[in-house]
Amino acid sequence: MAPSSSSGLTFKLHPLVIVNISDHYTRVKTQLNPPPSVCATENASSNNGEAMLQPNPRVYGCVIGVQRGRTVEIFNSFELLFDPSTETLDRSFLEKKQELYKKVFPDFYVLGWYSTGSDAEESDMLIHKALMDINESPVYVLLNPAINHAQKDLPVTIYESELHVIDGIPLLIFAHTSYTIETVEAERISVDHVAHLKPSDGGSAATQLAAHLTGIHSAIKMLNSRIRVLHQYLAAMEKGDIPCENSLLRQVSSLLRRLPAMESERFHDNFLMEYNDKLLVTYLAMITNCTSTMNEMVDKFNIAYDRNARRGGRTAFM
Amino acid sequence: MNSTEALIASIQGLSASSGDLSALHGILRKAEDSLRTNSDVQLATLEQLDPSIHSLGYLYLLEALTRGPVSKAKSVLLIARFINSCDAGQIRLASEKFVTLCKRFKDRVLELKDPLRGVAPLVSAVRKVQVSAKCLTALHPDCLQLCLQAKCYKAGFSILSDDILEVDQPRDFYLYCYYGGMICIGLKRFQKASELLYNVVTAPMYQVNAIAVEAYKKYILVNLIHSGQFSGSLPKCASSAAQRHFKTWCTPYYEVGNRYNDGKIRELEAVVVAHSSDFEEDNNLGLVKQAVSSLYKRNILRLTQKYLTLSLQDIANMVQLANAKEAEMHVLQMIQDGQIHALINQKDGMVRFLEDPEQYKTSEMIEVMDSVIQRTIGLSKNLLAMDESLSRDPLYLGKVGRERQKYDFGDDFDTVPQQFSM
Repeated sequence: MAPSSSSGLTFKLHPLVIVNISDHYTRVKTQLNPPPSVCATENASSNNGEAMLQPNPRVYGCVIGVQRGRTVEIFNSFELLFDPSTETLDRSFLEKKQELYKKVFPDFYVLGWYSTGSDAEESDMLIHKALMDINESPVYVLLNPAINHAQKDLPVTIYESELHVIDGIPLLIFAHTSYTIETVEAERISVDHVAHLKPSDGGSAATQLAAHLTGIHSAIKMLNSRIRVLHQYLAAMEKGDIPCENSLLRQVSSLLRRLPAMESERFHDNFLMEYNDKLLVTYLAMITNCTSTMNEMVDKFNIAYDRNARRGGRTAFM
Repeated sequence: MNSTEALIASIQGLSASSGDLSALHGILRKAEDSLRTNSDVQLATLEQLDPSIHSLGYLYLLEALTRGPVSKAKSVLLIARFINSCDAGQIRLASEKFVTLCKRFKDRVLELKDPLRGVAPLVSAVRKVQVSAKCLTALHPDCLQLCLQAKCYKAGFSILSDDILEVDQPRDFYLYCYYGGMICIGLKRFQKASELLYNVVTAPMYQVNAIAVEAYKKYILVNLIHSGQFSGSLPKCASSAAQRHFKTWCTPYYEVGNRYNDGKIRELEAVVVAHSSDFEEDNNLGLVKQAVSSLYKRNILRLTQKYLTLSLQDIANMVQLANAKEAEMHVLQMIQDGQIHALINQKDGMVRFLEDPEQYKTSEMIEVMDSVIQRTIGLSKNLLAMDESLSRDPLYLGKVGRERQKYDFGDDFDTVPQQFSM
């Protein structure tokens, strides 16, 4: 729906912004639909009215950063209240926040705004125009909160506004822009930390050992397929389907003679012993893994359910 | 009359898809009382229904019938046939009714003094009611009880081989582990019996219950037979009620255990004879005798750790056996069971004790290791799932949040008295 932008500006997005937006969204969503057991005692009265509001609330906020020449770098963001009656963002609050941020970060100024959803909508244009008096060409950062495991890249899109003439009327429409992610050292550490909290079923080889082993696995797979090809070729030659090529046969036989002696008794012995040793080590590793998981779980269980446990004792968190 | 016919018609009509089934379930529940009082419901009405297609309706009718006038033998036959052919999906909609029906079946079978007939139907009933292989149902202990009465331990053991992860009623769990332990004792698998009985003994309980006391008595004896150890105190994870009260109920067993630890056969036998009436009452006399005979084995095992070679006569003297012949028989038995490794030289009556020849480098070993590792991986997955569900538990999150605030006051981790109340 939105075409690509042609303004020529390069956008750099910091992960802090993405984390902020997703945190804001998650918080609002959890507060609207609280888990059943916890808030039963607390918000019994206020809960009745808003039991199941819109399952995907839209959140709004402002993004701030620096623009140097043709590069726009979005560093940070803060939240804003959306007034559904007038369909605008709370202006006074925005200006107050802007002043506060100016004191701490004098270089940053409001570059645009963000929201959540799957696609840019018409009503967003109104908000966009309202912001145009702070920044002549604001950016619109859109985060898609729907979790899609098949999707490989971030569900974040950045739109710019462009003046296009459609049917003789000059209209402002949203246009896609590409962006890159830029990290500061502190952000890299926190993103690394969050990434390691991945759930148990993950799939991708995140650790070095797994990457190394996958490499070996694919190498062996390729060797196996090549040997299979050779085997088929030799069988066909024996049957007579393919004319005998002596040079190839000589190469194959020299290759075979280079193989180590695999048939001797001692090789078998050593091989099995090493194999069993590795299996025993794996078993030990699995048991240690299980024991540590069980330990953590028992700690959590004691905290949650044990009535008279913590009398001034220390617990090792994490 | 009309209501029953209408009911039959609706059962036959609505047994097709799951939406219809829930409607049918509602109808049946409302009609339950009328079914009970209505004397027109006879066996003939049952003939009109097919148990494999109309399982839900058949279940309700059968339950109302067997409560009333139908003879015991006939009801046993009907229920057995029903269990074998019913549809598991429909049954799970009305699992409590099914469970009561099966319990009634078990009672009738026991009254008829023919427990063997009930074993196969109950085993299949357990499989059908189980939502997943990890859930414990109310039928498990009943099935195991029947297997025990019928002495067909293998069928019972097949039920025991599931790993139970979810338990509904604690009483079911106690009974399941207790009966399971007894079945394993019957099969002479003392390791698994010891684990199951340990579960009962250390299960959380606020008051001592009879099942746990009986299980503890058997647990002491099984431990003596299996590993030759007796400790007078319960494991630390047993509930405080158990730790305080079990001792008073199990004094004869404690004495047996203590004598066993001393290792003298004569005294052990004297104690057994003294308390034999107690053991008879608890039906544990057989186990006690097995424990006594295992003491010989334990003593011979101790000898292997001290000596390299020994003559048969010396073994007989040290272990207080009658003569060398008996010693030879014992040692031979132990070699066959795999408990010790030794060579008997019959010419001069010497026994040479050897090391364990297992080098762990055969291909059979690989298969053993592989299966064990797979099991551990499965266990680890279950543990991780439990851990994650605990981390999401709002009770836990609430308490963690509250505690964290206390430690926010700088690095003073040493002796912060808990005066700060939230």
